[in-house]
Amino acid sequence: MARRYDSRTTIFSPEGRLYQVEYAMEAISHAGTCLGILAEDGILLAAECRSTNKLLDSAIPSEKIYRLNDNMVCSVAGITSDANVLTSELRLIAQRYQFSYGEVIPCEQLVSHLCDIKQAYTQYGGKRPFGVSLLYMGWDNKYGYQLYQSDPSGNYGGWKATCIGNNFGAAISMLKQELADKENVKLTLADAKDLAIKVLSMTLDTTKLTPEKVEMATLQRVDNKTVYSVLEKPDVEKLIEKYTKVQAEAEAAKKEKQAKQPTK
Amino acid sequence: MSSRYDRAVTIFSPDGHLLQVEYAQEAVRKGSTAVGVRGANCVVLGVEKKSVAQLQEDRKVRKICMLDNHVVMAFAGLTADARIMINRAQVECQSHRLNVEDPVTLEYITRFIAQLKQKYTQSNGRRPFGISCLIGGFDADGSAHLFQTEPSGIFYEYKANATGRSAKVVREFFEKSYREEEVANEHGAVKLAIRALLEVAQSGQNNLEVAIMENGKPLKMLDTDVITDYVKIIEKEKEEELEKKKQKK
Amino acid sequence: METLLGIKGPDFVMLAADTTHARSIIVMKEDQNKIHKVSDSLLISTVGESGDTEQFTEFISKNIALYKMRNGYDLSPRESAHFTRKNLAEYLRSRTPYQVFMFVAGYDPNAGPELTFIDYLANALPVNYAGHGYGAIFASSIYDRYWHPNITQAEAYDVFKKCIAEIQKRLVVNLKNFTVAVVDKDGVRDLEPISAASLAA
Repeated sequence: MARRYDSRTTIFSPEGRLYQVEYAMEAISHAGTCLGILAEDGILLAAECRSTNKLLDSAIPSEKIYRLNDNMVCSVAGITSDANVLTSELRLIAQRYQFSYGEVIPCEQLVSHLCDIKQAYTQYGGKRPFGVSLLYMGWDNKYGYQLYQSDPSGNYGGWKATCIGNNFGAAISMLKQELADKENVKLTLADAKDLAIKVLSMTLDTTKLTPEKVEMATLQRVDNKTVYSVLEKPDVEKLIEKYTKVQAEAEAAKKEKQAKQPTK
Repeated sequence: MSSRYDRAVTIFSPDGHLLQVEYAQEAVRKGSTAVGVRGANCVVLGVEKKSVAQLQEDRKVRKICMLDNHVVMAFAGLTADARIMINRAQVECQSHRLNVEDPVTLEYITRFIAQLKQKYTQSNGRRPFGISCLIGGFDADGSAHLFQTEPSGIFYEYKANATGRSAKVVREFFEKSYREEEVANEHGAVKLAIRALLEVAQSGQNNLEVAIMENGKPLKMLDTDVITDYVKIIEKEKEEELEKKKQKK
Repeated sequence: METLLGIKGPDFVMLAADTTHARSIIVMKEDQNKIHKVSDSLLISTVGESGDTEQFTEFISKNIALYKMRNGYDLSPRESAHFTRKNLAEYLRSRTPYQVFMFVAGYDPNAGPELTFIDYLANALPVNYAGHGYGAIFASSIYDRYWHPNITQAEAYDVFKKCIAEIQKRLVVNLKNFTVAVVDKDGVRDLEPISAASLAA
């Protein structure tokens, strides 16, 4: 019976819900995973790449992570063509601000401005919402490093670490646990990288993580300049190797323990 | 057979309902509770925040916002819709100052918001705003006001009211416990607002957000410590009352 | 005919403006304030086509107020000056240009003081000292002589006094009173006005 209220986006269902928006969110939860982690000395985004065709030209370095302006980078989960529309919109908003005020746009304003556009697509007739969730990482002189997430509904929030896309629930609870363990320790960007690999390899459907499937980018302030870098494949490989090694050691330690127990 | 009459928002159903508007009100009823209390010389707004996830930045969760230096608003319903509404109202506040040199009166800005909402219930190809707003603040003559608007575009002035989840319970509570002398000072007004929130708060005192505005002063968001103090006082009073009842028996 | 003066010091910006409102050859009033307090740490002083001055300054200051309301923090002085300049430039190329000359003066907790000179063609220039109007002709040599990078507020006020004494002595137009305001880390403040009478005392 829900059919009556879900064929067009602009109307409420009798329970006061917007089905099209909810369906868009559903679509995103099947898309490639993206996660972001806020560290003390920087911030990172990592994304799962699904199209790992050997014939793809690697001249385009990054498929799911987009630079927006000097201080901001985003990654997307959902319908890629919608995402392209939104990222070009984001770049335009950022430049328009710079044109008006002569300074780089503060992170939250960029996010909130884009969300106004997303919201419009849930309220006006004849349109469907954007099937895209985004993670934004950035730096500004108001609040320092920031990580945001935005939904098709036009809602957004700031996070210390979060995840969108496939298996996002599991990933978030894992992030929560890992960060709770280290509550008193300052999280460095290097730790965050390890953590990102760990979470991705646990949540991705594939059995083994390969560098082709992971894209990772970091953002840091060095000498009062924002430095954005996409990790090279060999670096990602190293991180994965490190992770598998640690994992294997842990496994071995566990086995040893189990082996010891009967002797007691 | 209501199905044919609730697709476009612009038309009536045979029994005279505007179904889309009613469904929008349903969205408000799902939103977290917001309360407002008008004191003798202050206005207090309070909301129950959805519990903030551990990894979330607290700063970004805002359900109470300023429209102008003397106008503050809280809402229940769809957050994204609210953001749009707030933006429009903020622009109107400044453009009113620009055009007639005076700050908006509370009735004016409420009427503006209500009118905008009404437009969205009558024009084609849009859905109504899924939010209900509590608007509080001061007129230029120093009088405190509290208004509420609904998705239909209706608005009323209140001494105290609530919207969102279990608004009815809170409203009944206010009807029972609102006394002029109790809200004569800001302390009493804040206490009444917090008491009202506690009536329905699902996660207890931890996720309350309370703001107070006094005439000519900037909006003050209460710290969690201060709220906790109020909660303690309220709980103590409740116990004493119970004690009294027992003794009477 | 009207005159604006501005001086930037290491931790403040001081503005002075005459208070004459003249129409053609007639002085209409002598107590018009031309220094507008826009936010807690921003001043804009404006002269030019009367009416335009009020209208444009109001428009800019309401937009700056809106920005603060929306975002919870103020536009920085540099951003404010850029925003002002851009709007003026856009109006210049419209059918209804504003003819205004202004100073945007502000204090930013991180970047320090900022004084921006803007003329009616939307030239914008960050400066240490400057003036608008006929009075500025007499002020520049005095600025050159007395301004130094570590100038204090008292010294800057004194420089204004010297400028105004010279203006009242040499300029054919009679500019009797000047209001003075300063912006620094503590915000915006009005100072004692400088007039022919106060200079004589």
